[in-house]
Amino acid sequence: MLRFALKSMATRKAKLVMTALSVIITASVALMAYNISTQVSEGIVNTAAKYDMIIGPSGSATQLAMNTMFFTDKPLGTIPYSVVEDLQNSGLVNQAIPFSMGDSYNAAPIVGTDAALLADKPLKSGAMFAQAMEAVVGYDVARQYNLAPGDSIVTSHGLGGSGEAHAASPLLITGVLARTNTAYDTAVFTPVSTIWALHDHEDEDHDADQGDAEYPGAAQESEDDHADAHDDHDHAEQGEICAVLVRSTGFNAWSRLSAIYGSDSNYLAINPNTVLREVMDNVDLSRRIVYILCAVILVMNLFVVSVIALLNMYDSRREIALMRLIGISMKKINRLYLIQNALAGLAAAALSLGLSRLCLLAIRQFVASMGIVLDASRVYPMEWIILLAVFLLSILPTAICTHRMSRRATLEA
Amino acid sequence: MITTQDLRMRFSDGTAIRYDDLRFEDGKSYALLGASGCGKTTLLNLLAGILIPAEGDIQIDGQSTSGWTQKARDAYRIAHIGCIFQDFKLLEEMTVADNINLLRLEGVDVSGMDALLDRLGILRLKRRRVRRLSGGEKQRVAIARALIKRPALILADEPTGNLNFETGEAVVAQLIENMGSGTLITVTHDDRLAPRFNCVMDMNAVAHFEFGREADARA
Repeated sequence: MLRFALKSMATRKAKLVMTALSVIITASVALMAYNISTQVSEGIVNTAAKYDMIIGPSGSATQLAMNTMFFTDKPLGTIPYSVVEDLQNSGLVNQAIPFSMGDSYNAAPIVGTDAALLADKPLKSGAMFAQAMEAVVGYDVARQYNLAPGDSIVTSHGLGGSGEAHAASPLLITGVLARTNTAYDTAVFTPVSTIWALHDHEDEDHDADQGDAEYPGAAQESEDDHADAHDDHDHAEQGEICAVLVRSTGFNAWSRLSAIYGSDSNYLAINPNTVLREVMDNVDLSRRIVYILCAVILVMNLFVVSVIALLNMYDSRREIALMRLIGISMKKINRLYLIQNALAGLAAAALSLGLSRLCLLAIRQFVASMGIVLDASRVYPMEWIILLAVFLLSILPTAICTHRMSRRATLEA
Repeated sequence: MITTQDLRMRFSDGTAIRYDDLRFEDGKSYALLGASGCGKTTLLNLLAGILIPAEGDIQIDGQSTSGWTQKARDAYRIAHIGCIFQDFKLLEEMTVADNINLLRLEGVDVSGMDALLDRLGILRLKRRRVRRLSGGEKQRVAIARALIKRPALILADEPTGNLNFETGEAVVAQLIENMGSGTLITVTHDDRLAPRFNCVMDMNAVAHFEFGREADARA
């Protein structure tokens, strides 16, 4: 039966391929839309959950959150490192982690911080950095540039990897993070003192670093006074950082900190959950639009595929009538066509899953630049439901057609 | 042995055909002769269980078939009847072997396929797609499909209709040679083939058309 079904399918391969392609493209779009939106939402929620306050220089709350949570966008500017010490001595925080960003290794941002930022991130190999000029690299950075503990990397001034290289001050890699499927996979982490050391060194070499568009604080420069910013070297120089990630001791502490830093016009204190929820609302709106578009495509394709399936069955009527004339029972004919369509449905479902994963891999780098690293191997229950729907879609029209034919009392001679 | 009693077929346009009672004995070959549209093919389809009579009965070895379901008719046809159709009814995109192997879906033993194809002179075409065959070759494939299960009854509808006389005569000869102990009922309009058969029936005398009120009155 299976062999005959395959042979019968081979005689209609052009139609089958066209039908399958239609199903595969639709299902892949639906799978991708669901997978990406879910992973992005989860990534945002998981990242924002770790800290309840971020303190940085005054400016855009979203920019501050995206920069510190996902290492995207440019820092707002700098604040004194003493803020970290003040917070740690205040008794209001469990953790106050310095955050500095501005240099890069190729496209990977260099994050100046301390080991506490990576406390919950296991190392795949090596050890945590212990002093200035040491670094731990994210999983994707290590894989992309074939880096391992013991290797040295030369960073560049500014984000994007296109600035002047700090050739005289390479960083020694002490460890590689295990994959986290977050923005941490695409960054390089080093003590904040490394950033200070790099820029001290640079300042010794250059009287002024004019015209660096990707300098830390460039966003603020564009909004404020570009020339002044360069003159003042408004970046993470000795004793300066871009932000502080805070985990307060509780709601009262958080309120007090919020009052202290919120009332100071030099600072911006945000709750990353609140800010990212607003971002998510926008993402959610986009997701809803994507879902609606997908639903429209799905419904249209449902219609097209059903029509194609019915036309195929109409074409097959002669074949079915012929088989009935020579005495093949409708039960066997039903089974024959169900096998054929089930095989086509299974192939379409499997290929849809494969194609969607390939597309996820293809856009992984692009999404990673926005701070979310997609896990292409992750399949959500809803995706299995979509695939099941694809499978049923392949079988149902056939089942209905053959059932209707089998109910006819007489045969066509 | 197959017999018919008061057999009557009614069509959707209101016309009907009434057949005289007929009798087909085992092991004999019959030629149903007559002009086009005289009810030859309809009788064959009734005997094959493809059409269901409006009235009357067909008895096979004394057993009535009037109460049979379509499923039972299908089962009987696959087990005991070999049908050869005027337009072959072959799966054009499949090979000769595939068309015969199709019967394996219903458990028919096709182990004698090569020998049968050889006897019919088409063994070399076994792997060829049907659409690439000539009319005569297709007819032989249809015959092979009908004979492979050694049926008790062979129903052939104009098996020579698409062939020239010489080829048609050869096809009929092969049918008769390979029918074994079964009964062969062949529809043909070519009376030159009649001497090949044990019995010849003039369908113009056997089948009676009823039109309009006559047909309605009996309905």
